[in-house]
Amino acid sequence: MVQIFKNIFKSEKSFFFMAPALAWQISFCFLPLLFVIQLSFCTELFQFVTLEYFAEVFKLSHFLVIFRSMLLATVTAISCLLVAYPVAYYVALCAPDRMRSTLMFLAVLPFLTNLLVQVYAWFFILEKHGVINNFLYFVGLDVGHLLNSQFSMYLVMFHVYLPFMIMPLYSTLEKINVRWIEASLDLGASYFQTICRVVLPLSIQGVKTGFFLVYVTSFGEYAIPSLIAGQKNYFVGNLIAEYFFIGKDWHVGAAFTCLSSCVFIVSIRGYQLLLNKLVDRLQRV
Amino acid sequence: MNISKSALPIFVSCVYLFLYAPIFVLVLYSFNKGGFPDAWQGFSLHWYSDLFHSEEIWRAFHNSIIVASVSSLLSVSMSVMFIHGLRRYQRDLIGIFYSNALIPDIVLAVGMLSIFSYCMIPLGLTTLIAGHTLLGLGFAMPIIKGRYDELDKSLIEASFDLGASMRYTFFHVIVPFLYPALLVAFLLSIIISFDDFLISFFCSGSSVQTLSLYIFSMIRSGISPVVNALSTIMLIGSCLLLLIMMTFQRNLFKD
Repeated sequence: MVQIFKNIFKSEKSFFFMAPALAWQISFCFLPLLFVIQLSFCTELFQFVTLEYFAEVFKLSHFLVIFRSMLLATVTAISCLLVAYPVAYYVALCAPDRMRSTLMFLAVLPFLTNLLVQVYAWFFILEKHGVINNFLYFVGLDVGHLLNSQFSMYLVMFHVYLPFMIMPLYSTLEKINVRWIEASLDLGASYFQTICRVVLPLSIQGVKTGFFLVYVTSFGEYAIPSLIAGQKNYFVGNLIAEYFFIGKDWHVGAAFTCLSSCVFIVSIRGYQLLLNKLVDRLQRV
Repeated sequence: MNISKSALPIFVSCVYLFLYAPIFVLVLYSFNKGGFPDAWQGFSLHWYSDLFHSEEIWRAFHNSIIVASVSSLLSVSMSVMFIHGLRRYQRDLIGIFYSNALIPDIVLAVGMLSIFSYCMIPLGLTTLIAGHTLLGLGFAMPIIKGRYDELDKSLIEASFDLGASMRYTFFHVIVPFLYPALLVAFLLSIIISFDDFLISFFCSGSSVQTLSLYIFSMIRSGISPVVNALSTIMLIGSCLLLLIMMTFQRNLFKD
């Protein structure tokens, strides 16, 4: 009896330890999310359910915005993956030991520098009187505006998110034993086959983590499109911010947030299935 | 392995060059004597002296420091307590904190903004700290959890058997063991808080400015080499923090 009482007391004590973090998580993450859903359905707090806000965002132009964000996120994630994989492969498996930590340091540093600092660096280069334009002018070319173009935006997105991809890829590739690759090559597999059937399957977890990390963070990107691409190209982040700051139409803004989140979740599920299928296909090369 | 011998190192160095070229130009021009549209005119530190005399930047820096240190301290201490309390439960409840990193920032920011304004909480430093602590929890939890799992649980029992109270055990056995992980988590949360833009943008209101918001507004209004100088100093700051983190991370994996 005393034992049971003690146990209860102890478990209550451990609940006391967990309470602050749980309370924080609930009140600043789960409640706000619930509140956004509520805002999009109800005219008053949890009352008078209506679909009029959703009717307002169920337009082709809004779906186009979501589609553009998905495209941006997909292109960023895939281009980062294609470039980051060889880099991570080299750093983890081929680079000389004494250089490895330096290379890794250089790959992580941009991840930990302020996003705005990197955007500013690009702004500085791409500006009308920036470095590239000055150089081109010096050579005798005049291309005019480099800013406010889709291309510059994709370039900056690629630059900013590349370290996000290198890190998870590196941490899985690092665990691969180089002997396995050598064994595969010795046993007559071509270089391409070794990559597809040995290295890729062993590092698929890193590929998934990196892909979704970049996809998730770049889907809601706000600063880069609004600073580099100018105001005319709308993405999900910019449109939500406009509803909440300029239009002050919070109900419609919340409805759009919910709608884009739903599409976003469906797209993530789709990419998961697609990635799994791709791995299956690769195994048979 | 022919490819890796020749083409791969060249490709990798190109990628690193691409990663660092803009930053290099940025740093270089912070030492330029001339103003922005001019080309290189000679070495000078006068943008740095402008930076240190700008009251607005000092205020933003001050705010950033307060928010970063308070929110990191909060998120690390809450994470330790949560993980310590979790040991009695079979369920891995830690998964709920991963949502902070999985939900796009903009959704979190919108949610927080709407609930703050519904509850009539004035936007300012407090709301910023609340948001950044939430972000920090998502990053601190996995790091501390990893170290906590390595802790030999019989140490805790031994401490109890020898007559130590729960509190004594927590502060004299568990916290010292976790110390390297706590430091790494703390520094990472500081960096996350300094880097964050979206949550600050939504939750800060009009009165409070952080360094990220300051740079954002400066890019909007046009380029000034003062921002180059500020960026250079922030880069050096992240460099130092990362160096400290890597030293401790190495110790973390060693034992």
